Amino acid sequence: MARDKIYLEEEFPTPLVQLWHNFKQPPVVMIGFCCFLFLIALAVSANIITPYSSVENHLDHLLLPPAWSDDGDVSFLLGTDNLGRDMLSRLIQGTSLTFGLSIIVVIASLAVGVVIGSLSALTTGIKSSFLNHFFDVILSIPSLLLAIIIVAILGPGLENTLWAIIMVLIPQFVHVTRNAVKEEFAKDYVLASRLDGASSIRILRYSIFPNIIEKLISQATLAQSAAILDIAALGFLGLGAPIPMPEWGAMLANGIELFYIAPWTVYLPGLAILFSVIATNLVGEGMRHALKVRKEN
Amino acid sequence: MLIFTLRRFSLFFFTLLLLTMLSFSLSFLFPGEQLINLTGQISASPEQLAVLANEYQHHSGLLGQYISYLKHLFQGDMGYSMTSHLPISNEVLNRLPATVELASVALLVAMFVGIPVGFCAAIYHRKAADNLILTIAMIGYSIPVFWLGILAILVFSIQLGWLPSSGQISLLFEIKHITGLQLIDIILSDSPYKWQAFQDATRHLILPVIVVALAPATIFMRLARSAMLEVLDTHYIKAAKAKGLTFSQIIYRHAMRNAIIKVIRDIGLQFANLITIAMVTEVIFSWPGIGSWLIESIYQRDYTAIQGGLIVLSSFIFIVHIIIDLVYAALNPLAREPRHGT
Repeated sequence: MARDKIYLEEEFPTPLVQLWHNFKQPPVVMIGFCCFLFLIALAVSANIITPYSSVENHLDHLLLPPAWSDDGDVSFLLGTDNLGRDMLSRLIQGTSLTFGLSIIVVIASLAVGVVIGSLSALTTGIKSSFLNHFFDVILSIPSLLLAIIIVAILGPGLENTLWAIIMVLIPQFVHVTRNAVKEEFAKDYVLASRLDGASSIRILRYSIFPNIIEKLISQATLAQSAAILDIAALGFLGLGAPIPMPEWGAMLANGIELFYIAPWTVYLPGLAILFSVIATNLVGEGMRHALKVRKEN
Repeated sequence: MLIFTLRRFSLFFFTLLLLTMLSFSLSFLFPGEQLINLTGQISASPEQLAVLANEYQHHSGLLGQYISYLKHLFQGDMGYSMTSHLPISNEVLNRLPATVELASVALLVAMFVGIPVGFCAAIYHRKAADNLILTIAMIGYSIPVFWLGILAILVFSIQLGWLPSSGQISLLFEIKHITGLQLIDIILSDSPYKWQAFQDATRHLILPVIVVALAPATIFMRLARSAMLEVLDTHYIKAAKAKGLTFSQIIYRHAMRNAIIKVIRDIGLQFANLITIAMVTEVIFSWPGIGSWLIESIYQRDYTAIQGGLIVLSSFIFIVHIIIDLVYAALNPLAREPRHGT
């Protein structure tokens, strides 16, 4: 027998649970979220589900168009490129490079940015003013230029572009964290725990972080769409992933010369980038909307 | 206003100082000899190097080196390009105007398209038009710019043959280099084919401008939409409604002016983003600007060029920031002094 609730219990969901309740309301956002999960699944299981290896050449099937065209072959669903490599396998493998690595990049810069941001929120005076201006200067340098400079220092290659993009993204997280922490520090509940004798670090850990985490996640989605575009742009410019790697931007650059005879080698990687950025942006949009709804209530 | 301007300029000075420190430290971080990275004299003999070391005070402390680097910068000496052996300042002066032209036209296009469309979206809030505009905006700022550029070339230059796909102007026209801004140079020139040259330059400008402007325009749409929604929610709009003004009077006289101020404040922040997009677009459209030159100098490991490009491009962005800040302060009394009320 079902037990009715005897006592009227009031539930206070944590900020994250509240966020999820508001987040899942609009159907468009849920579609975006499902696409996002789908991409994560692809990225994780890329090696298992691809029909061919991403570098395997099928020399008797060069430049095969996608299966739905008259000359296509159903065993190469999305066609092949100029070296007879299966496009579908390359695109799926590319998910774990372009999309999967963008998640890692964002998590790394989030971690560093939050630490620096909260420290800079706690400092005052000249030190904090210098930090603020320093990060503002970095923020107003175009992200690609900064990434290019860091690549010039470290040398080209996929790993080095990842370090570059991590460093480019850090100032944004520092900025957001600093503003959010300062805003929270002014509130009464922080004063209450301060009167209890809590140290600043303890206040940060137990009072402030649970309350600003959703802002950070929303910034992280923004940063992730930027990271995908930057990884792909650097790959396209030939500074990122080397050519045989199935990174979407490098694939696109590889297809340009064949654009006129084999347009799918350019359309497909571009569509893949567009799809993943839109999915990320939809999730971010939903997050910001949920935050706004929560604030209004 | 004076105090505000002075404060902005002191901030600008401070920012430039930080920027030069960054660029100076880059010469240590780049691979190779620091002095060669700084001057670009890649094939100098030991005697020449000794002269250079003396000139840049290479044997004194870091501060002394930095100050002599600043002195050289103020004299317009940014060293020599490692690949072309031309002075960086000449190369930059040749190329910066093309980027300025592309970026400023694109910024204007993005503003004049994005802001009114955003206002429309806010006026039709939560109706079909609003949703349509939001969808377009979402796609617009998600599209990778290099892909968009290639598609634009394929469709408009190759398949339809409407617009040229690369360069700034057809090589048939000979335009004297006066300001470096192509369109202004053509107007100033006394060539008999002035009008044709102008048309040709405009046709070359259209595709890259559209490609550069798309993403910022969609961001302006969203900014304008949220600014307008915020304004339409305020008390003075309610008061205007209560006064019996028609809807179009409220929009044109009251809401639009206040909303546009909020958008202008954020334009400066978008400008760095626009320059990033312009750099990639320059590569695709072979636009002879500073962005394609910088990316080229990465391929050739021309470290002196990268340092010079960083300083020039970033100062350009800071100058645009300041101009936009001043315009914002001129339009909005609240930004100048808080005593104008809240």
